[in-house]
Amino acid sequence: MIDADVHCAPASYRALYPYLSEYWRHYIEEAGVRLTAVEHAYPRGAPTSASPAAREQRGGPVPASYEALREAVLEPRSQRAAPLGAGRPSTPRHVVLNCLTGFETHRNPYFTAAVASALNDWLREEFLARDERLRASLVVSPISTDDAVAEIERVGDDRRFVQVLLPARADLPWGNKNNHRIFAAAREHRLQVAVHAWGRAGKAPTPSGFTTTYLEDYIANQPIAQAQVLSLVAEGVFDRFPELRVVLVECGFAWLPPLLWRFDKDWKGVWREVPWLKRLPSEYVIEHLRFTTAPAHLPDDADAIAQLLEMLPAGKLLTYASDYPHDHGDGLGALLEQLGEEDRKAVLEGNAAALYGLG
Amino acid sequence: MTTRRQSRRALGVRDEGAARLSSPTAGQPEGNGPLWGWAVKTVVAPLRDFPPGERRLLNVGGRSIGVFRVGDQFFAIRNRCPHQGGPLCLGHILGAAVADEPGAARIAAEPLRIACPWHGWEYDLQSGQSFIGAAMPGVRSYAVGLEPGGTLAGELQAGRARLIPGPYKAETFPVSVEDDYVVVEV
Amino acid sequence: MTTVRTEELRAPAQGRSVTLVDCDVHAQPTDQMLAEYLSARARRLLERYGRRTPRITTWYPRARNAGMRVDAWPDKPGHIWGSDPELLRAQLLDEFGVDYAILEVLSGQDCYDEADFAAEWNRAVNDWQRERWLDFDERLLGSIAVAHEYPDLAVAEIERRAGDPRFVAVLMPSSAAEPLGARKYWPIYEAAAACGRPVAFHTGGYVDHRGAGYPSFYLEYHVGNGIVMQSQLAGMVASGMFEAIPGLRVVLTECGVAWAAALRWSLDRAWELMRDDLPKLRRRPSEYIREHVWFTTQPIEEPEDPRQLVAALSQAQLEDRLLFASDYPHWDFDSPTQALPRAMSPQLRQAILCENALALYGLPRERPGELEERG
Repeated sequence: MIDADVHCAPASYRALYPYLSEYWRHYIEEAGVRLTAVEHAYPRGAPTSASPAAREQRGGPVPASYEALREAVLEPRSQRAAPLGAGRPSTPRHVVLNCLTGFETHRNPYFTAAVASALNDWLREEFLARDERLRASLVVSPISTDDAVAEIERVGDDRRFVQVLLPARADLPWGNKNNHRIFAAAREHRLQVAVHAWGRAGKAPTPSGFTTTYLEDYIANQPIAQAQVLSLVAEGVFDRFPELRVVLVECGFAWLPPLLWRFDKDWKGVWREVPWLKRLPSEYVIEHLRFTTAPAHLPDDADAIAQLLEMLPAGKLLTYASDYPHDHGDGLGALLEQLGEEDRKAVLEGNAAALYGLG
Repeated sequence: MTTRRQSRRALGVRDEGAARLSSPTAGQPEGNGPLWGWAVKTVVAPLRDFPPGERRLLNVGGRSIGVFRVGDQFFAIRNRCPHQGGPLCLGHILGAAVADEPGAARIAAEPLRIACPWHGWEYDLQSGQSFIGAAMPGVRSYAVGLEPGGTLAGELQAGRARLIPGPYKAETFPVSVEDDYVVVEV
Repeated sequence: MTTVRTEELRAPAQGRSVTLVDCDVHAQPTDQMLAEYLSARARRLLERYGRRTPRITTWYPRARNAGMRVDAWPDKPGHIWGSDPELLRAQLLDEFGVDYAILEVLSGQDCYDEADFAAEWNRAVNDWQRERWLDFDERLLGSIAVAHEYPDLAVAEIERRAGDPRFVAVLMPSSAAEPLGARKYWPIYEAAAACGRPVAFHTGGYVDHRGAGYPSFYLEYHVGNGIVMQSQLAGMVASGMFEAIPGLRVVLTECGVAWAAALRWSLDRAWELMRDDLPKLRRRPSEYIREHVWFTTQPIEEPEDPRQLVAALSQAQLEDRLLFASDYPHWDFDSPTQALPRAMSPQLRQAILCENALALYGLPRERPGELEERG
């Protein structure tokens, strides 16, 4: 089993000090800049932010050190980290670490770039150097293409980075031509791209304005991810970069089939606007996009799940993720039950292995 | 709000025949093929009255048909889109849009297609075969018989060879010029 | 739960059975046509400074024929698509045998103009609707356009029209200055429920940022109409407005239908985990959607295997919540005879084509056999 989304984060900026210049250390101290552990995305008390088991971990639910990670996710006794049920693997042979700390940096592009670099250095030293099972997403600035490309060039040859990490919420959809150099750099360094839920939207993650409940904000990742799917395809990202795969992480997947029906239908009418697309949009998605299995918001009814599986080539598109320490409920088990043996293996391991060159 | 006129007159549409064509697909018999078991030639107009760029709609045996002059070529196609029955012959005539990479779009001269004014399904004017996008794999490719006309047909065939068709085919009819009259065979 | 209307449409003594109700048809006035109904002050304002509303649609030119069916352009001077009742009658009502067509005049939908102007503008829309359309053909029914950013003025307009049973719905956009579930708009929904009208949220209005940023292409924007409505529906449920206004029924219009099941699953799972974040909700989100939400069909999704569409609709319990819509005269118009897939059973087809609309809008099942033209 390969776990394609496990979270880690420095406990505070102090952990990044070894990797930050004196100027930035001062900046942090004087301005009182504090890491909030992406709290707007994962409020400490919200049930989805951490499973009960994760809350019991010393040092808090999000592993801030290798020891904490090992105890929470890598050791056999940590059944809770991979609740796949009886008879299913509970220890991953590989884990892809996603550190979302870069999502909460602010609009000072120089600070954001410095923190991104520091995070990558921290990830390498604290985690990647200490366990061969570990891989990570390469943190980049989400607000400067130049800086994102520079960081990919700086550390992208380190094979322990498997993909470039982008937030789902951004100033411009990721398919926009202003972002294409990021994909070029990723491919040059044989990296995939991950678009992970959250990040910072402008005013609000909705078409109209402020959400007032956490639940709305939580759900909002899904429409936003859908918009990213449209952008990546329509802007010809996969025509330009045919080797590229983009993984939507923690964005859900059950919403995909109706979106593709609509996307294909509309494209047939207005294809002239995007004449570089050589195929149905849905074909691009099935070839180039992957989706982690969390959150698996699925119905109770087994028949409905079976119907969904007819609409959605799950064995091809899904890649297992515990999304530790987050807790979105137990939807996945029911879906795995209904998959054939080959598809289940692909979801639990094969797809991630192919994506990230993990043998 | 746009002020560009899209009227039938602006499209160069001239109506022939008794049928009122505001709802051109109304009452049209279903099915393709000659109505009476053999093809009947109908005079459309004197050649000199049918300049390039014009199209005419006529009603033959209850079927609405559009006849088009593009340069010195004539085409005739059933005025009924196989998709949802829209008035195909009121649509724009276009070359294919192609792009080698995002943003580098251009219009290819050939082959010509007519786009249904409803949902935009596009049909090759010569053959009636629908095409969507630059290419749509998964559908069997379409073999074209040589049409009389030599070079143009060759270009058309070469153009079509890059494209793979969509699921619909509109009915087309032979058009010829006989004794300075434009004649369509239905 | 239905609210009894104070005045019903008059059912004729004898006539034909209704078989087709079209729940989304666009009559569209030119500015000149509306100006006839405006005060001199408003006309002057309009001439000098124009409408102040930012229109997102100008950022995304509708790639095909300005967004309209080419053949729907009237050959009459001073007219545009959707402005001529005679053409609409011929191309839609008569052509397809439509028994009732519900007009949604979108001219006031993105109205963020000054309050009094916005109110006048919407009042003009409704006056134009009534005089040029509802009086023209009794198959035509109207939606009450309101200055939605000024709920007190919107409520006044609803109350002004409530006595005319031919106005069968209250019209809102699918995107506004605040999320549609915001308390600001509740007086509008309360007024609609009080006079027995559903609220139709029609795709439109200014769409802001969206969390992912502005897309580049009309293709994205158009597909995005469905995504926008997902976001709004989630917000409506979360706001508690369905709990607060039990008689409210809403019609999500021109936003697609097949996405509803996955959203319901997501909302339910999220609510199970975080029920205390929404203390006003006493029931599952999907139950509120089931109770209060209808959908128009156009643009209906078209999977390669149409049975999958039927499955998706069934998963969302939409069989008795779907309302046929042609969206005449837009380019992606759905033909009443062609758009619904054969995979649908005759019962489902009939429910979509008329039964569900008759039930929702309380329309007479029989209407005059002969066409009667008034005035």
